[in-house]
Amino acid sequence: MAKLVFKGRYRKLFIGLLIVGIYYWAVSGTGTNPVNFIEGIPFMVDFVSRMFPPDISNLGKFLLKTLETLQMAIVGSTLGALIALPLSFLAARNVMPNKFVYHAVRGIFDTCRGINEIVWGLIFVSMVGLGPFPGVLALAAHVTGALGRYFSEAIETVDSEIIKAIVSTGANKFQVIVRGILPQVKPLFINYVFYYLENNFRAATVLGLVGAGGIGMELITSMRLFRNQEVLTILIIMVLGVVAIDRFSAYVRKKIIRIERLE
Amino acid sequence: MIKIENLSHTYKNKNGDRVALKNINLQIEKGESVVFIGSSGSGKSTLLKAINRLIEPSSGKIWINGEDILDSPIKKVCQIRGKIGMIFQNFNLLERETVFANALNGRLRYNKNFNIVLNRFFPQDDVAIVENSLEMVGLADYHNDRVVDLSGGQKQRVAIARALSQNPEIILADEPVSNLDPKLMKEIMDLLTNICLKKGLTLLVSLHFLDFIKKYGSRIIGMKNGEIVFDGCSADLTEKDLINIYGETEDWHLYGKTGF
Repeated sequence: MAKLVFKGRYRKLFIGLLIVGIYYWAVSGTGTNPVNFIEGIPFMVDFVSRMFPPDISNLGKFLLKTLETLQMAIVGSTLGALIALPLSFLAARNVMPNKFVYHAVRGIFDTCRGINEIVWGLIFVSMVGLGPFPGVLALAAHVTGALGRYFSEAIETVDSEIIKAIVSTGANKFQVIVRGILPQVKPLFINYVFYYLENNFRAATVLGLVGAGGIGMELITSMRLFRNQEVLTILIIMVLGVVAIDRFSAYVRKKIIRIERLE
Repeated sequence: MIKIENLSHTYKNKNGDRVALKNINLQIEKGESVVFIGSSGSGKSTLLKAINRLIEPSSGKIWINGEDILDSPIKKVCQIRGKIGMIFQNFNLLERETVFANALNGRLRYNKNFNIVLNRFFPQDDVAIVENSLEMVGLADYHNDRVVDLSGGQKQRVAIARALSQNPEIILADEPVSNLDPKLMKEIMDLLTNICLKKGLTLLVSLHFLDFIKKYGSRIIGMKNGEIVFDGCSADLTEKDLINIYGETEDWHLYGKTGF
């Protein structure tokens, strides 16, 4: 079969047409249309204007539900981190010489991570019923997969020379992990856990949509009943919550991990 | 006592194998101070690492105080390693940890697994031994300093304290002063040899600085291409031997050589 060879400007033309073609295909397939967008602006203005002023008559209840979401995020993240921590050593090539175990544990991580929190939520709601507990389980399952992967990759990057020094003292494998590897990966682990705490606060909110408790359940209820002013109150609380967690984790990280300043 | 018989090692590599040790036979008595010399890649480092089985030699036997380290189960190997303190060119310390936590790692072999999770779970006896080692290397006041804040010389002192905390009978020092300036080189080598002399420890050290060799080694072993080409007391080391070990060069001053 003759090989197609494009030269000079024909080659550029071909690549240009190809790119245009890909975009046409993607844009038309998704119905992305600027005209629709502009025509829809008045509806959006109308929708948003009906949100004002925010209705704070149920503020107390919303704040309590937000705390429930925070509780879900804390327990879910911690549970996930605790499961991921020991497993991650089995999924690190430099610690686990057995290829079967290595691939098996990585497979578990990929499965946990590959399934979205919402889908985990549906699975656990059907298992243990409505409420925050299935939400906690859903977060823990997803976080196990995510943290497991990041932890094991961090373990694979430790300085092997330092490990040799610990081995040379006569330490056994467990001692090498606790006194040689963990101190090296500790700062990264703490960063990842805090990142996922914040991430899980957001995810826990969405989990309310499938009946897994917290502020998300209030959000979906208010939206279904077209209580737009309440929706705005809830959105404001959620944004403030994310900002608060971000500030808190930055503060704690600064206290735990001394960050060397670049002069 | 260290006895090595027919020790050979080849580094297997995708781009071809590299022979690092060829049929080494060696006996080192308790309390000896042995300096290994030779160009980079001559096998010094491989030999030192084979002695506490940080590498698995291709063939041969190594006895430490009559025990065959290469033919022992891992538990026994850990026990033998505990009696051998090792010091590295790049210090190999946990930089973010404190001086004390790093030195405390020398006590791992003597502790149960659950003892070692936090520094404060180590028994008081271990703490006392570590404090004593830190005092010996002159770092008693640096207990809670982080290693990352220390100078190169101080870091190597921490590494020496870690090795001493093992209560070792043998010290392996793999180019311990190559990363230090000449004044610190002397300081660290004085410290190391004095401690070994005082405690009657066997010292195996690889060095590049020729003026140090005669000063610090009662016995000198010259290596070239994985073989021992000189083994004798420092008085017997002649210019001809040095040329045999390092090859012909005009630049002896680069090795710190001021005269034969």
